[in-house]
Amino acid sequence: MIRRLGLPAVLIGVWWLLSAGSTSFFWPPLSVIARTFPATWTLDPILHDVLPSLARLALGYTIALLAGVTLGVAIGSSATLRACCEPALEFFRAIPPPVLIPVIALFAGYTGWTSKIITIALGCLWPILLNTVDGVRAVDEVLRDTARSYRFGRLAVLRHVVLRGAAPRIVTGARQALSLGVILMVISEMFGADRGLGAAVVQFQRGFAIPQMWTGIILLGLLGVALSALFHLAERRLFAWRSDS
Amino acid sequence: MIRRLVLAVAVMLTAAACGSGPSVTEDGLTKITVGVIPIVDVAPVYLGVQKGFFAEQRLELELQTAQGGAAIVPGVVSGQFQFGFSNTTSLLLASAQGLPVKAVASGVASTGEPGKDFGAVVVAADSPIKTARDLAGKKVAVNTLRNINTTTVGNVVAADGGDPSAITYVELPFPDIAPAIARGDVDAGQLVEPFLTIATGQGDRQVVSNYAGTAPGLTVGLYFTGSQQDQAVVRAFTTAITRSMEYASAHPDEARAALSTYTKIDPAVQAALVLPKWPSTVDRASVQRLADLAQKDGLLPRAPDLNVLLP
Repeated sequence: MIRRLGLPAVLIGVWWLLSAGSTSFFWPPLSVIARTFPATWTLDPILHDVLPSLARLALGYTIALLAGVTLGVAIGSSATLRACCEPALEFFRAIPPPVLIPVIALFAGYTGWTSKIITIALGCLWPILLNTVDGVRAVDEVLRDTARSYRFGRLAVLRHVVLRGAAPRIVTGARQALSLGVILMVISEMFGADRGLGAAVVQFQRGFAIPQMWTGIILLGLLGVALSALFHLAERRLFAWRSDS
Repeated sequence: MIRRLVLAVAVMLTAAACGSGPSVTEDGLTKITVGVIPIVDVAPVYLGVQKGFFAEQRLELELQTAQGGAAIVPGVVSGQFQFGFSNTTSLLLASAQGLPVKAVASGVASTGEPGKDFGAVVVAADSPIKTARDLAGKKVAVNTLRNINTTTVGNVVAADGGDPSAITYVELPFPDIAPAIARGDVDAGQLVEPFLTIATGQGDRQVVSNYAGTAPGLTVGLYFTGSQQDQAVVRAFTTAITRSMEYASAHPDEARAALSTYTKIDPAVQAALVLPKWPSTVDRASVQRLADLAQKDGLLPRAPDLNVLLP
């Protein structure tokens, strides 16, 4: 625990010392930022900015997880499907989702939740999908054959052999997707939003409320840490059966 | 590797520390960088450079385009730009937060003619919204939340007997506002030229001119500088930009023609759009009006001292 908190403590200390007495408008002292924090993130912005943002992230991420694993298992299991899909997949994954935001808006609406959730889901999909495909392909053929020769049904093979075998890669993809999702949550709110955590940070910056802007950035970082801790917890729970985790 | 990295960082820091500030060219002109937004408002600067009004004042301009006042103000304060153009409300916000910004010349103003101004709120042709009052309770797109467009739209709605606090504003870039109205995602949108002419050309209808309706000669934008500026350079810039705006006002066709030198604009729109006014003085009362509106909407933490901001 002490080892984990050591570096952040040092970094905060360095920031505090270096910024103390700073007169630069855009780099206020950390003490000022810390004082501004509780006044900025009161109940109203938490209810109307932070929670809706997190809800959109959760929805987009869940859609990406379900779609990514389903498609990934299908593509990974079938050589024909793989051959058909690979060029298309390579094409779509190379397009950064922020570029697609205005296009998504044309189809899914300029305002409201739908286009923002689609943006998050589209961005999170690729690491999950591609990692699942690789994970499923890497499942030992002998294991599959063995399971089949023991007359495991298709579903049982899928559940006990394919998904379990591919699980480490799926988790890797899901972890990458989570950090991408946080970034996309912010970016999606820079277009056609009225409220949201990302929109709030941009508005503080435009209103030259610089300490408030920094508190928003710090809050985003803290959310990232919390989400990663949550992910770690879920991973430990899910893979309690694995001896090496 | 680490040594090289340290060296690179040191070089970057030194460059950042002494890289900016006006320099003098070989022919004795003072080189200055001006941050502008690539919109109709700043046509006089481009025209003035073409006509040599800045060279007459021994200035050589480098024009750098940025997204908006929120990006230009930090550029001017940090010395990356010596002068900049920004909308009046952004400058009021910056000044109220204690940033050392100082207006040096008027920038752009409303024509004062409702229905024939360079900024207005538009709706779809078949919209039930007929007057400003009907905007209450509706969803209105603006290019920037909590800025000049929300305060002035709120003001004209209140003046028409509507409740401005019942408006939901949504932020969209100007080019996306007309498509969002067409899709029905928003009920109305605040547009400036050339997007206003493009939208009305596609059938949208003007409801209210939010600038002209707020004050007849509303000072919408200003040229400004930071605190560390050589007074002789400021005087030279002010003289040249004022001359440029007078020339642009007297020669609107040349101002229209200048648009295509820095924007990609359809020739039909270029010929049809409403040019703003480029007055040579700041309408102080209208700036006070914008300050009052910003304070009423809770954008300003305290009443700004206009003597600090205005020349």
